[in-house]
Amino acid sequence: MISVYYFGAISLVLIGLYAVLVKKNVLKILIGLSIMESGVNLLLVSVGYIAGRSAPILSEGVGPNNAVDPIPQALVLTAIVIGVATTALALSAAIILYEKYGTLNIEEIRRLRG
Amino acid sequence: MNGQYASLLIALPLISAFFVPLIKGAGEKAVKGYLVLITTLQTAVAAWVFQTVYTTGKPIIVMAGAWKPPVGIDLYLGHFAALFVLIVAAVSFMTAVFSYVADIKPPADKYVMLSLLLMLGATGMIATGDIFNLFVFMEITSITAYALTAYNKTGEAAEASLKYMILGGIGSSFFLIGLTLIYGSLGTLNMAQIAQLAGSMNPTVAQVGLSLIIFGLAVEAELFPLNAWAPDAYQAAPYAVAVMFSAFVVKAGLYAMVRLLYLMQTVKSWHSVLSLLIAMAVLTVVVAEFAALRQRDVKRMIAYSSISQVGLIAFALALGTRAGVDAGVFHMINHAIVKALLFLGVGYVGVKLGGTSIEDFRGLGRRMPLTAFTLTIGSLAAVGIPLFNIFWSKIRILVAGIEAGYTWGVALILGASVVEAVYYIRFIHAMWFTGEGERIGEGISMSLILLFLAALVIVIGVYPQYAWSLAQKAGNDIFNVGQYIKNVPLMPLTGVGA
Amino acid sequence: MLKRALAIITLLIIGYWLAQGLTGVPFGQDRMLVGQYYLNNVIKQTGSVNAVTAIVVNYRGFDTLGEVTVLFIASTGVGALLWRRKKKRTARTEGSVVLTTGARLLVPFILLFGVYIFIHGHLTPGGGFPGGATIATAFLLLYMAFTQYEIPHGAFEKTEGVAGMSYVLVGLIGLALGGYFLYDWIWQQWHWGINDVGRLFSGGFIPIIYTLIAIKVGTELSGIIDNMLKEEVRE
Repeated sequence: MISVYYFGAISLVLIGLYAVLVKKNVLKILIGLSIMESGVNLLLVSVGYIAGRSAPILSEGVGPNNAVDPIPQALVLTAIVIGVATTALALSAAIILYEKYGTLNIEEIRRLRG
Repeated sequence: MNGQYASLLIALPLISAFFVPLIKGAGEKAVKGYLVLITTLQTAVAAWVFQTVYTTGKPIIVMAGAWKPPVGIDLYLGHFAALFVLIVAAVSFMTAVFSYVADIKPPADKYVMLSLLLMLGATGMIATGDIFNLFVFMEITSITAYALTAYNKTGEAAEASLKYMILGGIGSSFFLIGLTLIYGSLGTLNMAQIAQLAGSMNPTVAQVGLSLIIFGLAVEAELFPLNAWAPDAYQAAPYAVAVMFSAFVVKAGLYAMVRLLYLMQTVKSWHSVLSLLIAMAVLTVVVAEFAALRQRDVKRMIAYSSISQVGLIAFALALGTRAGVDAGVFHMINHAIVKALLFLGVGYVGVKLGGTSIEDFRGLGRRMPLTAFTLTIGSLAAVGIPLFNIFWSKIRILVAGIEAGYTWGVALILGASVVEAVYYIRFIHAMWFTGEGERIGEGISMSLILLFLAALVIVIGVYPQYAWSLAQKAGNDIFNVGQYIKNVPLMPLTGVGA
Repeated sequence: MLKRALAIITLLIIGYWLAQGLTGVPFGQDRMLVGQYYLNNVIKQTGSVNAVTAIVVNYRGFDTLGEVTVLFIASTGVGALLWRRKKKRTARTEGSVVLTTGARLLVPFILLFGVYIFIHGHLTPGGGFPGGATIATAFLLLYMAFTQYEIPHGAFEKTEGVAGMSYVLVGLIGLALGGYFLYDWIWQQWHWGINDVGRLFSGGFIPIIYTLIAIKVGTELSGIIDNMLKEEVRE
């Protein structure tokens, strides 16, 4: 059996992917993408966890041998910023889409374009 | 000069892009001229790196912050990276000249920044020696590509860009999950060390991780079924951007995919991943060729043709043999030249005549004879006619495919090539044998670039030896993983994972 | 309906497959290789007690340079996509008394808190990105409270560019002094703050870079808000 943390992270990824595959509204699809990214970040952090250890800030009694793996946390920091950047850009594309077609429903957009 | 100065390949475009807001008051022409200047400088740096690597025969390892790998991030400028960084810079220079001549929708300063950063992203993807850094550069490339796809601000452009973003977002999430699995079982992110330790990996973890990474990169590398965004994006993007997409963005994705694939070749489940990639590649070729046949818009048609060629490259690289990798790299070089020529020529026609549907190309032989001539050379080369460059690489790929035992793949690709010949001949026919028109003046700088590329096509076609030797060295860089590991000065570490 | 069922089946297969892979990476075990090296040497080599910050800014500085670039691309891209010949704020309803008074009262403190976060990046959780984001929320609050408020976006754009250039310049100074791009010349060559580990004036170039990043992130996110809130006006 896999750990409950992995289970939660994978579930978030799958929920996000479901929204991307099934939803018709562009905003909902983008929310799905964000959920997926959160799931991935959660997975990355939980891979770096080591049972019984604390955060990798080496002061107040935390030595090199009782801190968790710092690398995944550093990677997640980068991944979050990248996610923010993608979302911002996607939202501006959605603004253009709404200005041109007056709707955010992907099926209607396809029909309008002909 | 010290090899560490090769980090200018990253630093120069970056600092120049940050500088643009300060000079945007100087006007559109000045900013575009600045783009030409910076890409020229970048080409000079890349040429220096290329020259150093190919004369000494040793790769340049750039260590950021003086940390030895795997503690710090290294840039690995081997034979492959040196060659393709030069191609990236040279193509960027050509598109910069094109943008200078053509009208760019405002705001031109933002366009210049994004072009520089696209060049930076592709350079970094090709040069980096760290798998997470590869992810960061991949995101730089793809986020810039999203913005440039939507740059024309039409409804179609925004739609194409959104499609690209959604697929790209799924792809990057998959890539990151794959990376998590590999990091989780090896405890390192350095590519040389991953290659060193790959043999000890749990086969299931390796298989899942590697397949996820391949899926993630397949969005950038335009492989079926994750290439649905590509034709729309090529069509909606500004002309110069389409050139960059086809000439180096897709190459960077392909390279990253193949590099990671070969680094992990000691993994026990490796061959199942190879067959997955071969199936994707062959499907890409077949689907794209048949889609190209139906197009009325020349830019879109060439986009489909480009996708099918990319599938062919992926096929060659996924064969898992030395001959296949060499041929694939050779085809990458040839494809970059030919597609740069075709997209630049078509873009130039689009700028001059205001459209790129097949009707606009009628009588082009009389209206813009030089452009039509170079486009003809490009089309003939793309079909794979002897004495043009693509013939040599295509034949090598097919031979390598048969040697590796994938006769069915080769047969399907040959069938698709016939389809390709049909639509290119239709295109050439439309240019020379139909329609009438007044002669239109062709600018000197664009004519020179088009003629240079056409000359390159023919020179490589007649004397393929030099280009082939470059391709062999670059292919060896990818295929010979033992040499790669030896070249990276890994710091010995003691830990639980080792 | 059929589409949904198909989607769910596909997702279950993917989920099962991922779970298969993850069973090979057991949860909570010590599998550190490079991570342990960082933990053992971080204080000596970088002067930062926060290992995550040291990795982000110093050991894996290239990633952070890329990360800054990604955010720069986003702000540039949003600016390019939402570019109109003339743009203006079109909000009609003024914020409520609570909001406007609260904004007047809180903005300086939010800015101060942002500065605190990024200045202490090498000592506590936080750093340039959260600090910059906090600063941007101060401007967001101003936008929500006052219909006429606008950031000076010309100046903000220039600040953003200068901060980015300075980051690359710090790296290039490292190349000139120590022979390596992004070399921490303040700590490794000048040994500044070597007796102050765990206090504010330590950590080599980490506080400098985090200040630059925070300025950049703050101006960028404010610029994105500005671009998204304004609409085109036709004469």
